[in-house]
Parts: sequence; structure tokens; C-alpha cells
Amino acid sequence: MFDLTNLSVHFGPATALREASLTIRPGDRLGIVGESGSGKSMLALCLMGMAPEAATLSGTLTIDGRDMAEATERDWQALRARRVAMIFQEPMAALNPLSRVGDTVMDPLRLHLGLSKQAARARALDLFAEVGIPDPAARLRQFPHELSGGQRQRVLIALALACDPDLLIADEPTTALDANVALRITDLLVRLSAERNMALLFISHDLAAVARATSDIAVMYGGDIVERGPTRAVLDSPAHPYTRGLLGARPSATSLPRDANGKRARLPTIPGTVPGMAELPKGCRFAGRCPVELPHCASERPALTKPGPDRSAICHVLSQEVSA
Amino acid sequence: MKRLPVNLLIGAALVMLVIGAAALSLIWTPHDYTDMNIRGKFGPPSETHWLGTDQLGRDVVSQLMAAARNSMAVALAAVLIGGSIGTALGLLASAIGGWVEDLVMRIADIGFAFPALLFAIMLAAVFGPSLTNAILAISFINIPVFARVARASANQIWTREYVTAAQAAGLTRAAISRDHILPNIAAPIIVQATIEFAVAILAEAALSYLGLGAQPPAPSWGRMLSEAQTLMYLAPQLAIYPGLCIVTAVLGFGLLGDGLRDVTDPRLVRER
Repeated sequence: MFDLTNLSVHFGPATALREASLTIRPGDRLGIVGESGSGKSMLALCLMGMAPEAATLSGTLTIDGRDMAEATERDWQALRARRVAMIFQEPMAALNPLSRVGDTVMDPLRLHLGLSKQAARARALDLFAEVGIPDPAARLRQFPHELSGGQRQRVLIALALACDPDLLIADEPTTALDANVALRITDLLVRLSAERNMALLFISHDLAAVARATSDIAVMYGGDIVERGPTRAVLDSPAHPYTRGLLGARPSATSLPRDANGKRARLPTIPGTVPGMAELPKGCRFAGRCPVELPHCASERPALTKPGPDRSAICHVLSQEVSA
Repeated sequence: MKRLPVNLLIGAALVMLVIGAAALSLIWTPHDYTDMNIRGKFGPPSETHWLGTDQLGRDVVSQLMAAARNSMAVALAAVLIGGSIGTALGLLASAIGGWVEDLVMRIADIGFAFPALLFAIMLAAVFGPSLTNAILAISFINIPVFARVARASANQIWTREYVTAAQAAGLTRAAISRDHILPNIAAPIIVQATIEFAVAILAEAALSYLGLGAQPPAPSWGRMLSEAQTLMYLAPQLAIYPGLCIVTAVLGFGLLGDGLRDVTDPRLVRER
């Protein structure tokens, strides 16, 4: 079980993550959505013990009840792959171009499980078959450039599964893949999570993929988790203005928005851009871009409100509605 | 097929010539390079002595070939030793970072502050003139060069996503350095080794010229040069031949190294 309590990450005066609290239990499938720079990758790196050296962390992270504040790099190395593993956005960049993919997958098997070369190869073969790589024996000997994007991502999933982790973090696993392949990879991750009772942290800005892959969702903006809840409920009736904006900006294949003259209208967008980490407003991070902003939004931090069962959001407007 | 750069082709041809002569000398030379014939000294080029004979009547071609072998062996040993130690230090500095990296690189900077050749001469002079000491001295001046190249290239590779992926798989920094960093910095290391080979040949010739390298009767271009120096007005060709050999070898490896760099580093080609 992974437990984050008020975890913050600072780079000098800049805040990358502000008091994030999360609990991940076996078999949970949690989606994290948000724009670039919203802190979702930083959250993932913290769970891997791989936050950049320049970052200062505060708050607590416990893994199976163990406080990781004092954990050394060596402690983390022992946890990675076995307790928590990660797959990455760019399947090409995440594989060493000079290593046969089989060797890459066998590395953690031999290191963590102490398997012999033959045993590691047999296990790698099983893993390749499990993640749906055809002709796994031949693939083991190939180099990354000989595989397609989808195949490479499957290799990386096999690498992440090698030591049977409790939590698999998928950092934008489908962003670099075309839509059809992305769907299949998403389904594969869901299947693996269910079969192995493995928690899945699915980070993406692809709302369709997140909806398909996860049961719960956390929406991040400017280093804050602004809204949490069951995926379906949050996507059907978003509470936080940012979530609403994010969903409104989603292009739809079936109903193209038209303006009054029947011309194709522009896709609605959230006005403005994400400010730099150092220029974020002190109160609600979304202040300045929010369509329903109140005067005190930029200066005061909003409190947690409960817009529905199992749901939470931080927003002044919502807390006003609740108290009214 | 992309056309290979001209410097690579010329360099490769010159290197083949020198290595070919050195390799051939292992099994065959026109004469034994130590055979003296005082009556036939300063002989002109002839059918038996293609480039003539020296002040002791020894065959010049045989001496040049045997010296090539000597020169290649010294340069190879020195680049291998210095290159291995330097690359290992560079990898270590890059893997650990922080004050270790700073320390290694500042020591390398100190190494760079000394003119390489003078430093080698100093070392050879301190530890006594012998071929082994010459090899060690040349190895030593190679260490900072390779440390710097390895560390700079390794730092680039450490930022790659596949290194992050390997870290995420729980690999130690040592394992990552060995399995992922080293193979990916091989190209710049090999390029540097080729260029340093030229430097090592020059250094060996210089040390031998000063009597700090190969000891008689071991043949060496540098020593042939110094022996011919006193006879410059009598038989200038005896100085010109080993001089040309040194130029050929140094130019060959230098061009080959530059050519390899052009081929392996596409950024440099575009700048031309």
C-alpha cells in the first residue's frame, strides 16, 4: 500500500507539487490527468524515489507502512521493480538502442530475483507472451529499432512487470502511439492490473484513455490535486472549474461544435496558459484563468469540499455553494 | 551509401600502410635490421638496399619497418592503458556526480595544464629511460584526455530516458554505467583513441629521440632521427626517412580520427 500525505515538492521558491495526499491500494486503478507542468510526473517520480536532486520534498510517503523519508538510494533500488515499476511516454527513447530488448528485460530479473541467465530468459519469454508480443523467442534477440512503437511499449511493460510489482506507474503510456495501438495498450494495462491484483497509476492527458483504464481519477493543476473521485462520476459531472474546462476542450468525433451560422466553431479552450511554477497564484492555482473566479481566490487557499459521494475538490466557489 | 569523408579515406590508407609495414616486419624484413656492414656504410639506394644503408651499413628499410612495429606497440599499449583508466574515471565521475565528479575533473584539469610531451619527458626522466617507462608516461598523459571525453559523453547519456527506465527497474549506477552508458559512449571514445594514437606515436618518437624511450639496439624512428642528426650534412636522407615515417603515421591516425568523428557525429558534418 502506498500512502502520500501532504507531499510537497519545491525547487527553491517554485512549487512543483503542493500537499498532495493519495492512497493507493492493491488493485486500484487511479488516473491522473492534467496539463504539462501540473505536477503529475513529479508525483510519479516521488513514488519511485526518483525526484530530481535539486528538489526539496516535504510531507510523508509511506510504502507498506514504512516511512520513506530516510530511505537511501540503495533502499529505493531494492524497492524499484519489485514494489513499484514504471513505464514511460516514449517507447523508443526508453529502450537502449544498443541493447537487445531481451537483455534489457532480463536485467532486473537477474539483479533483483537473482535468476540465472537461462531462468531469466525463460521468465522474459513468459512476460513477452503475457504482454502479447508475437513470436517472443525471436523478439528477445531483436534491437529496439526493429520493433514497432506498440511492440516497444509492450517490451517496456514486460520490463516493468518483470519482478511482479505491487504498483505500476504508466506515465503517458499511450501518448506516442497511434489511436488504435493506444487502445490496445490501455486494455492490456487494465487486464494486467486485474489479473495480478496490481495497482495501476495511469498518468495521461488523454481523457478517453483514462476513462477506459481507471476506476478513480485525480485531476491536477499547478501542483495541486484539484479534484478527485470515481472516474465516471467526475467525467460525467465535473465539479471543479478546471475539470469542466478540460472536458469542454475535448474534441468530439461525432458532434462537431457549430456556431450560429452553422460554421464549424472553434474548440472551446481554457483561456490563458499555465503560469510558470514560480508565478502560480498563492491561493487557488487556477485563479486568473478561472471563468467563475471570486475576489479572494488568488490569495486564499480553498478548502476541501465534497461535491458528491467519494468525491472531493478544492474550490472556493464550490465551498460557497455547499455552505449556502 | 553515403560517401565517406576524404580525410577518413586518406587517413585509413596511411594507417594501413604503417600497420601493414609493422605487421610484415614480424615475419619478414629485407634484411636483419641489426646486420652491420661497415664497408657498405652510407650506401645509396640499390636493388638489395632499397633506401640504402646507414652509418653502420644497416639496411634502412628493415630498420624503418622494425621501428614501425615498435612504435605501434608502444602507442597501442599506452592508449589502451591510459584510455581504460581515463574512461573508467570519467564514467565514475559521471555516475557519482557531486564532489567526486568535481575532484576527478579538477585533477584532470591539472593534468591538462602540463604540456603533455614535457610531462611524459619528465616522467620518463624521473623513472629512468626504458621502453616500459615510456609506455607508462604516455599512458599517464592520456588519462585526463579520456576522463574528460568519457565524462562529457556519459553525462549526456545519463539524461536519456532509457537510463531513467533502467533506474526505474532498480539497476544500480554501476550496472547502468556498464550496461547502458559505456556502449553508448563507445563512438566518441574510439574517435579519441584514434587521435591519441597519433599523439602517442609522436610522444614515443620524442622520448626515443631524447634517449628516454627505446634503447639500442631496439629500432625506433625517434632514435634513428637523433643518430642521423650528427650526420645531417653527410647523409641527410638518414634523417629524412624516419621523419617521413613519423609524419605519415601521425598524419594517418590524425586524419582517421577526424574522419571517424565526422562519420559518427552528424552535427559536425552539417557545420561544414
